[in-house]
Amino acid sequence: MIDAIQAISVVLILGITILIARLIAPYLVRVYNRSPSRLDKVLNPVEKFIYKICSIDPEHPMGWKQYFLAGLLLNVAQMVIAFLILVLQDKLPLNPLGFPGLSWDLAFHTVTSFATNTNLQHYNGEATLSIFSQMTAIQFLQWTSAATGICMGIAFIRGFIVGSKNLGNFHVDFVRTITRILLPLCLIASVVFVVMGVPQTLNASTTVTTLQGTTQSILVGPVASLDSIMQLGTNGGGFYGANAAYPFMNPSPYSNIFMISLMLLLPTALIFVFGELLGKKREARPLLWGAYILFGIALVIAFIPNIPLVASGIETRFGGFMSNFYTVTTTAATTGSVNSALSSMHPLAITSGFLGMFIQSIPGGKGIGLMYMVMYIIITVFIVGLMSGRTPEYLGIKITGRDVKLVMVAFLIHPIIILIPTVIAYASGAAAAIGVGGNSVGYTQILYEFTTSAANNGSDFLGASGNTTFFNIATGIVMLIGRYASIAILLALSGSMIVRKRGGTTGLKTDSPVFTIVLVASIIILVLLTFFPFLALGPISSFFRGLTNGF
Amino acid sequence: MTENKEKWNFKPIIGLTVISLLICGLFFPLLVTGIAQVFFPYQANGEIVQLNGKAVGSNLIAQNFTLPIFFHPRNDSASGVDPDITLQDAYSQIPRISNATGIPADSLTYIVNQNQEGTLWIFGSPYVNVLRINLALIKEYPSIYSGFSG
Repeated sequence: MIDAIQAISVVLILGITILIARLIAPYLVRVYNRSPSRLDKVLNPVEKFIYKICSIDPEHPMGWKQYFLAGLLLNVAQMVIAFLILVLQDKLPLNPLGFPGLSWDLAFHTVTSFATNTNLQHYNGEATLSIFSQMTAIQFLQWTSAATGICMGIAFIRGFIVGSKNLGNFHVDFVRTITRILLPLCLIASVVFVVMGVPQTLNASTTVTTLQGTTQSILVGPVASLDSIMQLGTNGGGFYGANAAYPFMNPSPYSNIFMISLMLLLPTALIFVFGELLGKKREARPLLWGAYILFGIALVIAFIPNIPLVASGIETRFGGFMSNFYTVTTTAATTGSVNSALSSMHPLAITSGFLGMFIQSIPGGKGIGLMYMVMYIIITVFIVGLMSGRTPEYLGIKITGRDVKLVMVAFLIHPIIILIPTVIAYASGAAAAIGVGGNSVGYTQILYEFTTSAANNGSDFLGASGNTTFFNIATGIVMLIGRYASIAILLALSGSMIVRKRGGTTGLKTDSPVFTIVLVASIIILVLLTFFPFLALGPISSFFRGLTNGF
Repeated sequence: MTENKEKWNFKPIIGLTVISLLICGLFFPLLVTGIAQVFFPYQANGEIVQLNGKAVGSNLIAQNFTLPIFFHPRNDSASGVDPDITLQDAYSQIPRISNATGIPADSLTYIVNQNQEGTLWIFGSPYVNVLRINLALIKEYPSIYSGFSG
């Protein structure tokens, strides 16, 4: 359990983050509405130059298929170039430690992982990647997947706006996301990280002679520039294998809090953007409160057990409380960075992590979490409509049978791509091949591996031990489906809204506190109905075993 | 919808791939490197600690201490290079160091307390940086640690 002061500090950290998100939301709205800005003097010529050499017509409108395909094809091209960089890193510059090129399956896994915003890592960066690869493959894809996710979220919102005729232009949204949102935010965050002690250099190591006379290699690199986008972009992939537990990524209790705040910033800001772009700010309320009530429940579950001050697997400077808080946040925002060894976490904290990744919208990844929350709202509206005998409506739009089918498919993809590969991993002997057993502890690790892939989260138990052809390919495929199939279906839903009539306000009031409660309840019921048996075999079973045998 | 009949143009895809690689993968990390190296070189290069002009380690990365006269780091943490130990851990090592060096336990306790960190007390227990307290020992007792002054 936690004490009152800790509870208050959690509320303060979350409150301040939500406040900052609220403050930057109007700026994001202006970026996507192409409103005049003070940055225009500098950025307009840059953007015009980019549009010109890429033959982009900024006024060209896109429907959902075109918007989605533009994003998908760009991501594929980015994956190809990053794949080549990883495989050929021994022939490219800035490889001071002389690392060989990656194997094709590890390179495939890594680019899929980073392009889908998952950042599941089957390697230890400090012992595998050159400085050039860290920048032009890893950080590059962290930026582009973050930008793609935000764009998809924005396009999704546009479909619901009264009188909208298209979903916008992907290329323009993508460029402006990078130049006007990610560049300034990441620059500020990177400098703050450097001040806090995060290295930023093109050297890979400094050799020192320790006090006892042995030689020690201090592994450095361009870490601060990664830290900022890994958290702001809800990416989560680390420069080092130990991720945000490594002192050079997360040097102090202050940087730890800063990271928690950064992870939540853009997903939360986009909820406000939703309300503002729609011109109905109150409609952001069920998304915001729904997300944060469920996040609160996840935190309470994780904080139930006795949290050790410091234990094996937990860094001294964070302590047990901040490690738990971080673990719940990283799964709730589907970031996937970790500041402690997951194997040292209490089974209830792991259960809480699973919940965040099952729901995917508390608040979820930036852009994508919002899409999932609207998906849950439509399911809830439909269920309530059935119960009250009214035609289901959302934002004055009648919800049709096709809409309900689409959201149900989007919802059901998630359990399918988690559970089937988990079974295959055991049936094919792939789990046993890396020494993972069939007991509740081993099962939790494999279930977690595919859940983190499907939710595009990226935290994991396996780490470099997952670097086998089976796990590289299997999780690679799961990440691709988890990312692009869900986005395509939800964009199709939004794209079909453009042509629909908006009715009056005869339907259910979705901006009321009562609706938020119903929404939260229906999300809990849906997720528990779908996933409870699988949780019961894994962390919940470990929990009860721990109660009798000790943790 | 008319969009399906349009011919797909691959120029934006190729162009944006190259431009995003240049901006995100090169321009940005190099820009941050430039700013960091000019304004915050100590942090940017890994907080390297010097003793008598020689680099002896990093403040943020644990180094191996095995001799009984030094405080020892943990060997079981998540990162494997946790530079800190809790106050209790430090106190528990004081009798060993005192035995090996003859430094009174009270003086060692004082040094530990002087270097206490973890001002965010609500989030965890106070801790000390192992390299920092060992350097403090060398500074405070140069005769005892004469072989280790670089």
